[in-house]
Amino acid sequence: MTTGGWAIMLISLAGVWGLALWCYRRVLTLPADDS
Amino acid sequence: MASEQQEQWGTRLGVILAVAGSAVGLGNFLRFPGQAAANGGGAFLIPYFCALIFLGIPIGWAEWTMGRYGGKKGLHSAPGVLGVIGGGSAWRYLGVIGAMIPLAVSFYYVFLESWTVAYFLKYLTGGVAIDGAAAIADQTAASNALYASITGSAQDGVLFTQNQFTLLCWVLVFGINVVLLYRGLSKGIERFCSFAMPVMAICAVGVLIRVLTLGTPDPAAPDQNVVNGLGYMWNPNFEKLTDSNTWLAAAGQIFFSISVGFGIILNYSSYMKPKDDVVLSSLTSAATNELFEVGFGGMITLTASFVFLGLAGTIGAVQTGSFSLGFVTLPVVFASMGPAGTIVGAVWFFMLFLAAITSSLSMYQPAIAFLKEALGMSHKKATSWMVLLGTIGSVLTIWFTQGGAFWSTMDFWVGTFLIFVMSMIQIIAFAWVFGIDRGWKEMHSGSALQLPPLFKFVMKYVTPLYLLIIFVMWLKQNLVSALQAAFSNTGSMVAVLMIPVMVVALMLLIRTGERRWRAQGLDIDNKIPADG
Repeated sequence: MTTGGWAIMLISLAGVWGLALWCYRRVLTLPADDS
Repeated sequence: MASEQQEQWGTRLGVILAVAGSAVGLGNFLRFPGQAAANGGGAFLIPYFCALIFLGIPIGWAEWTMGRYGGKKGLHSAPGVLGVIGGGSAWRYLGVIGAMIPLAVSFYYVFLESWTVAYFLKYLTGGVAIDGAAAIADQTAASNALYASITGSAQDGVLFTQNQFTLLCWVLVFGINVVLLYRGLSKGIERFCSFAMPVMAICAVGVLIRVLTLGTPDPAAPDQNVVNGLGYMWNPNFEKLTDSNTWLAAAGQIFFSISVGFGIILNYSSYMKPKDDVVLSSLTSAATNELFEVGFGGMITLTASFVFLGLAGTIGAVQTGSFSLGFVTLPVVFASMGPAGTIVGAVWFFMLFLAAITSSLSMYQPAIAFLKEALGMSHKKATSWMVLLGTIGSVLTIWFTQGGAFWSTMDFWVGTFLIFVMSMIQIIAFAWVFGIDRGWKEMHSGSALQLPPLFKFVMKYVTPLYLLIIFVMWLKQNLVSALQAAFSNTGSMVAVLMIPVMVVALMLLIRTGERRWRAQGLDIDNKIPADG
């Protein structure tokens, strides 16, 4: 595995995990459904 | 109609998981890694994420927004919602595509879903019969024989006349779908997806941990190790970025992966409350899909293949296509894992089954909604009609199995070509007909997330242009061969002929529905704006 391969893999994984966790954190901390 | 209007999602998370369940399917685990490896490895992720940001996510936002808006008018089908957004009959009739795609795709998708159950049951009962101690060529031959037996690819009708195991699996799978659909949106689909998505994630994590801890299983082949397997998938070949086919493949993968353009999101989001958030919900669904695709699909499939089959074996597997990779190559890989391979294989195919069923449920629901809406049927009656239609479509798929001609033809014309068309219709309807300023305001009504204004420009200009370029390139690459293949055997001809028949039948239903809706006093042409 090349340095470029490691870099792209880690950035991609951090990106998709980070986005998913951030989104779920936002969703789960929204006020309860009341509309 | 009255009961339809009362139908709503139970929770915010429920609708997100249902849409994510619709998006996460077999392609996340099987198609994505093959596409990436064949198109520049890690470098593929650059056009892939560009397509996600400028194509997939914006179309998703438009679709969620239009669906919720249509729901405010009491309409839940693609024809109904597009008629409201476009403000007239022409758009309603264009919406026939969104009514047809999920139904037609369900005909063959549930058949593919039954393969996952067939393999899962074979692993549970020890019926896979691939000897891990035999030569790789013999294991591959045994795996090919199993695949041909389960898919019936050798001959039309063989799954009815000789090997009925897949047929029984289809009955089981279709039955589960039907039971959940009869239970309705919230008690059936939402509840099931809320259970299936976390279970699928647990299965994926389990398989991922097993694959990443394989080390170097064969000391005689030290190069066949996990790190080199990851390298095969992720090492970038930046020269591929100058090849337009790489950009086309990346956009195609995003486009078909996140479930936009099917008419499914239009339907699902129409059951949201008028002030429910769509921006964050849409983004969360897309993020879930990406987690399964890049985070699991990109780490598991090819790495496992490389460790046991080596570079040449994995390249060969990628070249034979997604289904062969998942259903022929991976069983050989699992056989090489020894006794643990049986458990890993069972978990893997159970996970694929969950990925498939959460998608197939989303394909039936829009058809049920359309029948309820157009003909004023009760939920039970509409579901029963959908069961009849689904059975007819699936029986044709299961009969015409030779070379997979029926389902692959349907997949090309409906599951690919028409999805491009429907996506174009939707983004034009949202950004140009409804109007981007109005659409932007509607999208942010009740929103938990404020988007940068740059995305207004993206949704109005970049996304339609990007889509058009990709569509033209795709047509140039595929149209001639697809037209030739369409009339190459009986199965493909039947599939091609079914499409206009379905379009005409659905248009007649739209006409009937239009009369009903007007008689009920529904604002189907959006004369009275319901903007947030």
